[in-house]
Amino acid sequence: MEDFFPYVVFTIFGLPVRNTVVSTWIMMVIIVGVAAIIGHRRPAALELLVDFLLDTISTVMGRPAGLYLPFLGTLAVFIATANILSVLPAIPLPHSKMFPIVSPTRDINTPAALALTVFLSVYYFGIRSKGLRGYLKDLASPIFVLPLELISHLSRTLSLALRLFGNVLSTELIIAVIFALVPFIVPIPLTAFSMLTGVLQAYIFTVLATVYIAAGLEAGEAESTKT
Amino acid sequence: MAELDPGVLTTLVTIIVTGISIVLGTLTPAIVEGRAVLKALEGMARQPEAANDLRTTLFVSMALLESTAIYVLLICLILIFANPLLDRFF
Repeated sequence: MEDFFPYVVFTIFGLPVRNTVVSTWIMMVIIVGVAAIIGHRRPAALELLVDFLLDTISTVMGRPAGLYLPFLGTLAVFIATANILSVLPAIPLPHSKMFPIVSPTRDINTPAALALTVFLSVYYFGIRSKGLRGYLKDLASPIFVLPLELISHLSRTLSLALRLFGNVLSTELIIAVIFALVPFIVPIPLTAFSMLTGVLQAYIFTVLATVYIAAGLEAGEAESTKT
Repeated sequence: MAELDPGVLTTLVTIIVTGISIVLGTLTPAIVEGRAVLKALEGMARQPEAANDLRTTLFVSMALLESTAIYVLLICLILIFANPLLDRFF
């Protein structure tokens, strides 16, 4: 059970590097490689993905999604890949050790970083659409709602991070417990279920990020005709 | 009642409380989520053309409801694997 939680693999210049970070590097190589291969062989498959993302984002936002696709699409692809990454087998190392590939989202730091990017991008897109003065004016339209507004921004960022972390951790903990009890065949349906919930969590994270960004832009309706 | 080591007592109480709280904390969101799905399905059956909007809203609200169960789960995990009371007092 000690192997289940993230542990420090090695240190660079005094900075500890956990096994989830190494898994993230492996995942980046996989994403770039798969995207390059598919983009070379079957570009239509990638267009299908982009069309799906554009459709979802524009449905939720109610405006053209071209400006927001790079950020939200990256979130969706990253989280979906990260959640189903743990089905890959462990990598054998020298000295008869193994490096198990784990989901990067199992470590609380990864969902926290993703939620922080959403937190900051709400302000970025809001200021970009309304201008700094307009955004601040809308944020504090009666001045006494400003603290409530800021607290709600912080608490939804916290819940965004904890939801992703808790879902991934709980399904993988269940798989680990079942694997310790019956390591034969029984964990396979649970692994399939964890892949399903992983992709669903990526969808939910992306839709929630879209909703939060759209809430920051609400008055900027006229700007949407430009994109 | 026999003399009990405080650490053992704390662990015992923690295990019992964790069991109770995970049951209550998953029961309530499950019931509420079931009601949400029920209403959404009724709406979809009545107006199939609104199904897409309803589905997106359903997913988002289910995620928001689900997060309460996730908070309970995280607190239970903290109590079991990294109990702060045991570290601080014993």
